[in-house]
Amino acid sequence: MLVTLFVTGIGYLVVESLSTGDGPGLDNFMRFFERADYVAVLIRTILVSLLATLVSAIIGYPIAYAISRYRGNRNFLMMLVITPWLVSVVVRTYGWLVILGPRGTLNSLLLSMGLIDGPLRMIFNMTGVVIGLVHVFVPFFIVSVLAVLLHLDRALEEASQMLCAGPLRTFLYVTWPLSLPGVITGAMLVYLLSTGAIVTPLLLGGVRDGMLATQIYQDVLQVFDYPKAASMAIVLVIVAFSLVIPLQLLERRVAARVSGKGVK
Amino acid sequence: MMRLLVRVVLVALFTFLPLPIIVVAISSLTASGYFTVPLQSLSLRWYLEFFTDEQWLHLLAISAILAVVVALLSTTIALLAALVIDRYRFAGRGVFESLIMFPLVFPNAALGVAFLGLLGLLNISGTYLGIALAHVIITLPFAYRPILNSLRKLDPVMEEASMSLGATPWQVLRTVTLPMIRPGLISAFLFCFIVSFDEATITVFLIAPDVNTLPVRILTQIQESASPVIAAIATFLIALTISIVFLLERTVGLELFAAPERGR
Repeated sequence: MLVTLFVTGIGYLVVESLSTGDGPGLDNFMRFFERADYVAVLIRTILVSLLATLVSAIIGYPIAYAISRYRGNRNFLMMLVITPWLVSVVVRTYGWLVILGPRGTLNSLLLSMGLIDGPLRMIFNMTGVVIGLVHVFVPFFIVSVLAVLLHLDRALEEASQMLCAGPLRTFLYVTWPLSLPGVITGAMLVYLLSTGAIVTPLLLGGVRDGMLATQIYQDVLQVFDYPKAASMAIVLVIVAFSLVIPLQLLERRVAARVSGKGVK
Repeated sequence: MMRLLVRVVLVALFTFLPLPIIVVAISSLTASGYFTVPLQSLSLRWYLEFFTDEQWLHLLAISAILAVVVALLSTTIALLAALVIDRYRFAGRGVFESLIMFPLVFPNAALGVAFLGLLGLLNISGTYLGIALAHVIITLPFAYRPILNSLRKLDPVMEEASMSLGATPWQVLRTVTLPMIRPGLISAFLFCFIVSFDEATITVFLIAPDVNTLPVRILTQIQESASPVIAAIATFLIALTISIVFLLERTVGLELFAAPERGR
């Protein structure tokens, strides 16, 4: 059983690399980069994913921090994060469609309050995609940071406060640097998952601003050109990991420094 | 003043995550199917439509069976893998472990294309067997983590004691090890179930005209028409997820989500 698992694991990687080598080598890639619209999609994918990662960090860190410091029923707060996380991506994206759509909750609320004259355009553009992606992936960030914050030695913070550092300074010089490994892990996860997301950009994005993942999906669906799809998938993987590997190296250094500090 | 501001921001942040699922649940009850702000008349007609439509019920049954099978397989394989990794030192142990965890971070769209190729190679493309195989590989990381964590917490003295009292290795596994890691097994199973049951991003690549799953069907339905029956189905799925989270909370506690990263 283990062997089969192992073989399948390797199998899909092999198939993937093979399918690009399919035919005369790098032709598929050449064709990809010759098309200006594909390059634009590629750049948009990177931008949207980076933006989603940044927003996730801004939203996710305070949530994780608040949960780790909460003295009351922590389980309730955890539930608020975990339940939406486990609800299907399709369902959650549909939720945003209902909220942000032209006839949706937010527009009808604003209209009935007389704040706007016509419906605002909040989906079928990049804003919608980023909101959706952040919502889908921010729990990964929260959980990564929380894992670090919950197991952080509180004595370090107390020591800092005893040495007359204010709460802000304690946070900046003690808590934040110590939680960096979690931040980096979380950011990597959000970025990687955002680049490969299909459901959210498909439902919340406009026709003209697809991402690489949706482009792959549409190409597979419409013209069944497997080598082309595979080469695009490889481009996607390279794009995703080329930004993540430096981060991973950074994380190692940070982790090493942090544990060094912890010993002192 | 400052405290109040912090509080308001925190409440806003914590509403962000549950917001779309709450809105979906409310909108499923309206007669019009969109949650517009002067709330219109309430009705359960969309639930009636869902529960009397044979096609939807058929897909619901398929997705449920698929998820149970996948969860059973995945939990078993993950248990074996975790036992091997925890007990034996062998060359390539690290590689083996990363291979299990890899699907978690691999951009999903690329994974979908890879599976499409793999299933074609195995001659099982467009079958439920193929989808199940893909789901087992995707869910494996979710099963592996909690099982390994509970194995690590296990006191080896217990197993040694039982062995010195003359128990065979199989007896030790069945009467000592398995009962003691039960929380890990339960959370692994529930996790795999929910991930498989909700998966759409990768499954869209693997369906065939008469082979489909519930989330994928919902996804295509949303694109085709805005029928509010979706809101009813979505609410049903949300209720299912909430009950699973409750089950997790009652049986193993939610702290497992913030378990520290492996061996730093």
